[in-house]
Amino acid sequence: MPSAEFDHRTQRQLERLQSTLNRAFRSVPFHQDRLKCNGIHPQQVETIADLADMPFMTRRHLGENYPYGLFAVPLRDIVRIHTAPGTTLNPSVSGYTAHDLRQWTAMVAESLAAAGVGNEDILQISLDPGLNDWGRDYKLGAEALGASVIPNSLLSIEKQLMVLRDYRTTTLVTTPAYAAQIADHVRDLRIAPDRLALSTLILVGEPVPGERRRHLEDSLGVTTWLHYGLSEVPGPALAYECRQHEGLHVHDEHFLVEIIDPDTGRWVGPGTEGELVLTSLTTRAMPLIRFRTGDRVRRLEGPCACGNPTERVAWLTGRTDDLMVLRGVKIDRAQVLAQITSALAFAPDLYRVFVNTETNRRFLEVWIGVDDRIFSDEIKMLEKRMVDIGQRLYECLGVPVTVRLKERDTFDAIEA
Amino acid sequence: MLRIRNLKCFYGGIMAIKGVSLSVRPGEMVCLIGANGAGKSTLLAAVSGLLPTWKGEIDFKDRSLKGLDPPAIVARGISLVPEGRLIFPPLSVMDNLHLGAYTLHRQGRRGEADEILDSVLALFPVLAERRHQAAGTLSGGEQQMLAIGRALMAKPALLLLDEPSMGLAPMLVEKILAALVLLRDQGLTLLLVEQNARAALGIADRGYVFETGTIVLEGQAGDLLDDVEVKRAYLGKDYAGFTEGRP
Repeated sequence: MPSAEFDHRTQRQLERLQSTLNRAFRSVPFHQDRLKCNGIHPQQVETIADLADMPFMTRRHLGENYPYGLFAVPLRDIVRIHTAPGTTLNPSVSGYTAHDLRQWTAMVAESLAAAGVGNEDILQISLDPGLNDWGRDYKLGAEALGASVIPNSLLSIEKQLMVLRDYRTTTLVTTPAYAAQIADHVRDLRIAPDRLALSTLILVGEPVPGERRRHLEDSLGVTTWLHYGLSEVPGPALAYECRQHEGLHVHDEHFLVEIIDPDTGRWVGPGTEGELVLTSLTTRAMPLIRFRTGDRVRRLEGPCACGNPTERVAWLTGRTDDLMVLRGVKIDRAQVLAQITSALAFAPDLYRVFVNTETNRRFLEVWIGVDDRIFSDEIKMLEKRMVDIGQRLYECLGVPVTVRLKERDTFDAIEA
Repeated sequence: MLRIRNLKCFYGGIMAIKGVSLSVRPGEMVCLIGANGAGKSTLLAAVSGLLPTWKGEIDFKDRSLKGLDPPAIVARGISLVPEGRLIFPPLSVMDNLHLGAYTLHRQGRRGEADEILDSVLALFPVLAERRHQAAGTLSGGEQQMLAIGRALMAKPALLLLDEPSMGLAPMLVEKILAALVLLRDQGLTLLLVEQNARAALGIADRGYVFETGTIVLEGQAGDLLDDVEVKRAYLGKDYAGFTEGRP
């Protein structure tokens, strides 16, 4: 780039990228070993494009380095430790320094402010236990804006709706799946949307197709705003919609965006969709370097009409990996099998794991084929098995789970 | 205003700066902190043309400084206040200051030089009081003021300062720093190297933390001030013994 085109944003990204790589290389054996194995030294990254020579990080690495292996600062500098459902037997652990927490709070606050949230608002957070960490981050961010926050808590949908109506909630932070459930409930109870004070619905955890989104807006009488985040590591609201609702603005002073072809790992051309890869630029406790999110995005070119110059992406439905996303929580089938195996003390011959989408109450459904090892002539023993497996999965994933024992014929029928 | 990308500096075969990128925007005061030998002063030497060779890019006002000698760099608008002041002890205060306006004089901008002299003497009244005294007889603090005054005489757009608080009593440090704040408020851009991290971060807008020739942190000065990692980096402690909590 000619020096006349002094690009302040690019310069800042480069400076932060280099200092992040230096810190990671110095303090995290995982990063140091991987770079050395690839014959790379942080000094070789002289432009953002040079990042393409670095190896990727995946969710597998989070599990392998459980619990603190990816921390770049001593534990005495960590002020908070989050645990999220991982995609391996180990959960994903992330740490925050006091500086990180302040930064996340500011990022979440900025993202909420872009949706018009302010100190006049009553903001309710309704997320499954699997997204508890986001609940805490949203609470901090909304409090920083002066909003009255109703923190995330395990309430039934009836109670959530009671709070929503009686406390005159104006802003609800939840997943599209849960929002749809609330919308159904509002309809079933014949509550007119204008009887609710709700005007802003912040949707998190998964992309939402246009028609589902319009349905939510119509049935609840709200404007929806999509936020993008990572549930395993650092947190929510990495990217957010502005009032234009044309793609999501990325906090690109804190995260560097790459979009790659999931098969080749190379950058895709302008306007082409691909997998979102993120590198943290300011995170202290746990830097991410080229983290493959598995999420499908497309870069939006040109400035946004809102005037915010940050980079924008369109978040597309579907994934580049084979993870299931249920109510914002990512689930690996292998991980589910490992939990079942652990509960049964053996691996079942026949099983099926899927997201039940028959109603708006989406949940994880697990079928296990009954054989001699599982069968018992006592019903209560069979029930106990199902309950054990269900509880174990719920504890690990934080989403509703239903376990069914099925006869082998059922599986054969599906196969056929 | 100043943009550095991937700067590498060598002393003999040793790489003292290993690919550093940093920037200073107009009107900003930026400080570089870090332990002794981390490469901070080397960076100032490279920017002011005192290092014969370096690799990478140093652009000032969108033009490269590559291959320029110190007088040419001063003429571009960058002045250095060197570590240890390096004033001319036998010369009078006034002569030292006039020497700082050497490039202006050569360009026939004598009138401007006189105006700047007035503003320097207003900034440091003690220099006016001692105008005819030999510079070597001044106290440490006064010598530092003279060194800053001399650098200002070249009418710089960017002032580089290498350890301006070194060897000074706390009260004098405060005085010098207050003068720097005043200069920044008047619109001057400053890049400051300091061992006294606390004092420097207390007045700067942003900071960079150096560690063995690389930058390991960048941020708002206020954020860095409270940062535990900065305290460690500043104290020069490394992470070699850090194994707590590792699996």
